[in-house]
Amino acid sequence: MARTQRNTDRERTRITDDNGVAIESALVGDGLELSYPSSDGPVVECTRLDIPEEAVTALVGPNGSGKSTLLKALSSHLEPDTGTVRIHGENLDSFSQKELARELGVLSQENDSLGSISVEDLVYHGRYPHRGFFDGTDEADHRAVERAIELAGIDEIRDTELGQLSGGQKQLAWIAMVLAQDTDVLLLDEPTTFLDVHHQFRVLETIRQLNEEKGVTVAVILHDIAQAARFADYLVAMHDGELYDWGPPEEVVTEQLLADVFGIEAVVEYEPELQVLPKRALPDR
Amino acid sequence: MAEAESVGGYAATEQRDSWVTGTLVLFCLASTVVTVVAGLIQVSFGEYSMTFLQAWKAVFNPTVIFDLNAWVSFLFGTERPDMSTNSIVVWNLRLPRVFVGIITGATLAVSGAIFQAVTRNELASPFILGVSSGAGFAVLATLVVFSGLAPFLPLIAALGGTLAFGVVYAIAWKGGTSPVRLVLAGVIVNMVFQSLQQGLFFFADDLGVVQTAIAWITGSLTGTGWEEVRIAILPALISIGIALAGARQLNVLMLGENTARSLGMRVERVRFFLSGVAILAASVAIAVAGVVSFFGLVVPHIVRNTVGGDYRRLMVGCVFAGPALMVTADVGARLAMGGTQMPVGVVTGLIGGPYFLYLMRKQQSMGEL
Repeated sequence: MARTQRNTDRERTRITDDNGVAIESALVGDGLELSYPSSDGPVVECTRLDIPEEAVTALVGPNGSGKSTLLKALSSHLEPDTGTVRIHGENLDSFSQKELARELGVLSQENDSLGSISVEDLVYHGRYPHRGFFDGTDEADHRAVERAIELAGIDEIRDTELGQLSGGQKQLAWIAMVLAQDTDVLLLDEPTTFLDVHHQFRVLETIRQLNEEKGVTVAVILHDIAQAARFADYLVAMHDGELYDWGPPEEVVTEQLLADVFGIEAVVEYEPELQVLPKRALPDR
Repeated sequence: MAEAESVGGYAATEQRDSWVTGTLVLFCLASTVVTVVAGLIQVSFGEYSMTFLQAWKAVFNPTVIFDLNAWVSFLFGTERPDMSTNSIVVWNLRLPRVFVGIITGATLAVSGAIFQAVTRNELASPFILGVSSGAGFAVLATLVVFSGLAPFLPLIAALGGTLAFGVVYAIAWKGGTSPVRLVLAGVIVNMVFQSLQQGLFFFADDLGVVQTAIAWITGSLTGTGWEEVRIAILPALISIGIALAGARQLNVLMLGENTARSLGMRVERVRFFLSGVAILAASVAIAVAGVVSFFGLVVPHIVRNTVGGDYRRLMVGCVFAGPALMVTADVGARLAMGGTQMPVGVVTGLIGGPYFLYLMRKQQSMGEL
C-alpha cells in the first residue's frame, strides 16, 4: 500500500509505493488560483495538486469547497488566473482541444437532458475526438464503443432512447460515452450523486474495473466521504477553496478532518477496514 | 469468445451505417411526390390556358429536357434555342417559379434546423436571430431611399441579414456566447429592425414601392424566373452540402456545451461557422423570395416529429420536406384566390402558425429538442 512521506514544512508531500519508489503523477496542478468572472477574488487557491498515475483519486469536501472548480481547471474548462496544469508533464495549453480530448475524458456534473437519442448513438459521440470532420466510423471506433458498453454493462439498453431511462441508467450511458473516448485519464464530477445504491455501486465498480484492467488514472468527485474512503486509493480533501489534506484514505480520514472539513462528529474505525460512521452535525456551522 | 465478440462487432458495423431508417426513406419519397404533384399543378394553370395534358407533355418534353443548349440558356442566361409556345410558357415562365420554391424551401428549412441546434432552442429560426428582419430592413431601405441600387437587391438582402446576425452575435458575446443570450439579443435586434422598417414606410411616397416592399417583407415567389434560380442555386447547394456534412457536429453540439468541449470540439468556432452556413442558406432564400415567415421555424419541427431528433436524418428530411411544403404553399398563394396572387409568406404564416400550435398541443415533449 502506498504511503506518504511528509516534509518537515508539510508543504509538499511525495507519494511512494512500498519500495520507496516515487509514483508519477498523471495530472499536476501547480500554484493554481481559480476564479469565475462573476466572483470577486479567487474561489480556489492551491499550491500543488497531484493526481497519481494509474490510481483512483477521490476529491471530497463539503458543498462550495471548490471541488468542481478545481476539476474544471484540471480539464481546461476553466482558465486558471495563475498557475499551470500539466498532464503527463506537458502543459494543458500546448494541446489542441481534440488532442486533449484524446488524453483526458471529462464527465460534467450536469448533463443536459437530451431525450431523443439512443444510448448507442450517445456512446458513439465519445469517438468524436478520434474522427475528422468528414470521417465515418471505423473498426477502432466500433471496438471502443463495444468495449465501453460492455464495461458499463448497458448492453441491454443500447437501443433505448435516453429519455426513457432512469437516472442511474442515464448516468451509466454517459459514463460509457466517456469510456469510448479511450483516454488515459478520466475526470468525473459527482457521478454517483442522485443515484440509488445499486447504481452507485455499478458506477463505482465500472470505474474500478477500468482502473485495474486498463491502468486508467481516475479523479472523481464524490459526495459521500464514507464511500470515498472505502473506494479510492487517494483522497484529496478540500475546505474553503483550499487543500486541507491529501494522501491514502487511512491517513487522511480522521475524526479531526470530519469535524474540520465536514462539520460532523463521526467515529472512524480502521480495523478490519476503514469505516466512517457519522454521528451528528456539529452545532457551530 | 473473442470470435463471437468480433462477429457482434461487425453486425454493429452494418447497423451503424444504416442510420437511414425506413421512416426517413418513406418521408423523403412522400415529400418528393408532393413536390412533383404540386409542381405539376402549378405549371398547368395560368393566363395562357393549356390543358393538363398539354402542360405535362411540355414539362416532360424530351427535346427540352435532353437539350444541352436549353439548359445552358436557363442556367447561364444565354440565348434560348427555339421551342414551341407551350414549352416556352412552361419552361420559361412557370417551371422556374417551382424551382425557386424548391430552393427556398430547402434552404429555409436547413437554415432553421441549424439555428435550432446551434442555439439549442426550439424557437430559433432565421427570424428570431435577426437575419430576416435585418434583410427586410436592408431591402426596404434600398427600395425607399437608395432606389438606384435596386438591381443588387438580393445581395443587399443577404448583407443586411449578415449584418443583423453579426450585431446579435456581438451583443450576445461575453467571453463566449450562450443559447439564451443569443435568442434574447436576437429578439431585441429584431424589434429594433422592425421599428426601423415601419418607420421607413412613412418615407415611401409611391404606392407601387410600398407594395413591392410588402411583397419582399412577407415573402413572395411572384414573378421569379431563371434569373432567380441562377442567383440562388450555387450558394444553396454549397450551404446544403455543408449542412449535411456538419450534421454530426450539430448532434454533438446538442449534447450541451460542456460535453461538446470535453469531447474536443472548439464550440465557439463550430457554432460560428455553422451559423454562417445557416445565414448563407437563409440569405439565399431571402434574396430571391423575400422573408417567408414561419417556414424556417416550423419545417424542422415537422420533420423532427416524423424522423426523430438525429440531425443526420433531420437534415436530409428538411432538404426534402422544405421544397414540398414551399411549392405546395406557393400553389395556394398563386391559385387559391383566383385572379390575384398572394405572397407565399401569407400562406405559410396562415398554415404554419396553426399547425405549430397543433403540434404544441399534441406533443407532450415539445419543449425538448
